[in-house]
Amino acid sequence: MKAKEYWNPYVAGVALGLVLLGAYLVAGNGLGATALPKRSLAVVGSHLAPEWTAHNTVLKSYVANGANPLRDWLVVEVMGVIIGGFIGALSAGRLATKVEKGPNISVRGRLYFAAGGGVIMGFAAALARGCTSGQALSGGALLATGSWIFMLMVFAGGYAVARLVRREWT
Amino acid sequence: MSAATFPLVFASDELRLLTGLVIGILFGFILERAGFGNARKLAGQFYLNDMTVFKVMFTAILVAMVGLFGLQAVGLADISSMWVNLNFIPAQAVGGFLLGVGFLMSGLCPGTSVVSMVSGRIDAWVTFGGIFVGIALFTLTVDWVPGLLALYQAGSGEVSLLPAVMGVPPLALVLALVLGATAAFMGAEKVEGIFQRRSSPVELTPRNRPGVKLVVGGSLSAVVVLALALTGPRPDLPPLQMASVAPLSLAQSLIEREPGILILDLRADPEAERGIPGAVPADVESALGLLSNTPTRTTVVVYDENGRITEAPAGWPRALDYRFVAGGLSGWRAEVLTPAEPSGASLAEREQVLRQNQISAFFSGAAVQTVSVTAPPPAMAAGSAKKKKSGGC
Repeated sequence: MKAKEYWNPYVAGVALGLVLLGAYLVAGNGLGATALPKRSLAVVGSHLAPEWTAHNTVLKSYVANGANPLRDWLVVEVMGVIIGGFIGALSAGRLATKVEKGPNISVRGRLYFAAGGGVIMGFAAALARGCTSGQALSGGALLATGSWIFMLMVFAGGYAVARLVRREWT
Repeated sequence: MSAATFPLVFASDELRLLTGLVIGILFGFILERAGFGNARKLAGQFYLNDMTVFKVMFTAILVAMVGLFGLQAVGLADISSMWVNLNFIPAQAVGGFLLGVGFLMSGLCPGTSVVSMVSGRIDAWVTFGGIFVGIALFTLTVDWVPGLLALYQAGSGEVSLLPAVMGVPPLALVLALVLGATAAFMGAEKVEGIFQRRSSPVELTPRNRPGVKLVVGGSLSAVVVLALALTGPRPDLPPLQMASVAPLSLAQSLIEREPGILILDLRADPEAERGIPGAVPADVESALGLLSNTPTRTTVVVYDENGRITEAPAGWPRALDYRFVAGGLSGWRAEVLTPAEPSGASLAEREQVLRQNQISAFFSGAAVQTVSVTAPPPAMAAGSAKKKKSGGC
């Protein structure tokens, strides 16, 4: 089966905007992604080192008063993303086990970059208290000052290294 | 007082969590259909031959923004009871830049890496593993690496919205952003045209259909204008009569630091005499900018020299609760700043006098300084007091 074409970006944008609006109107919350790994870490921490977790600057609020870190709207929302993304890829004929890369880089090289980029992003998202979804998209829609600065800096960071990692993509 | 319909209130926590699942499924599905499960497509943004990231993200931001501020303008939504990212600008700036660097190295951001993972992409699984390690790295180092905790916590940590920072009505800024973004979309497609001669976008990318962005931009502008029309001053509405508040009871609220009170000093010459502590000097025009950014459940207390203002000026948002200080500043001076004469025989009457004198001592004595310096800005206190929802990404 030939895979379906992607949606027109403005149509996809309107749909995404309506979902974001729905999230705010229904639950009073924006969208997110790093809540799941961050709160999973709190679960791991509370089993391996409960004392340390209870005092860690990032994790302590997730485990305060014996709370279950995973009982959270954003965690359930990311679980939805897993399901929805799968349905999307399946119904568009885009399910495939492969590595996305430019023609001038080896698979191994691409995976090193992917891992390194992931580590940097995880660190950055924890520092900024949110990622592209939680800060830029959700905070951007509410005109939150810091989120707009975050968003501009994401684009600045990407364009700053575009030349350096050119071989990975083109 | 007004109770907005949105955000909804749920009977049980489970029910609210369930809405997260539904919204997440839609979010994931749309990200996939936009092409965000493909790292090469996302990376195209930074080589200027495929600006899908910019187009989708900004269109989504605009749609949600128009909906939120439009519904707030007509009194249906209350933004102050939604989760808003707090201001930690240094961490947001440094974190944003690093995230951009990592984004292009991985070709994915945290949200899109989830979609790419379930599409079967191995690079996405590696990226997501990296994200987990990166979060762990920050969590493990934040409390002892010199300077990291300071960077993480620098900033006001309060809600800060751009319309308030810029002093403009929210819908005016929203309209400017809609028009600006529509122009930027046209520019983006011009740039794409130039760079696609060098390298073409990934397979399955649809061809540009120039009309779509104009329809989207036009409809969003129309919605904003409609919302503006619905909130603008309407001549047929009767003037909004304000209830009065006795100076003493206002003084009591100030001492107890009740949240959700905004005091406006509407005197022609606020310099002439010291006003009520914590009051914001304003005229009818400049107050409008302030009020349109004030959470709907705020009580706005206004005063002039002698309590002649008893109607809210035309054009002031009708969703707020307005009060005028009985007798204006002279009433305040007479009741609060002047100790009461001991009179009345009963115990209750004497207690009343004693209480009044305590209040009077509080505002005319040394305590005045403490109140005016440390009392938080009333509008903000109202907003942050209600924050209970989880935030972050």
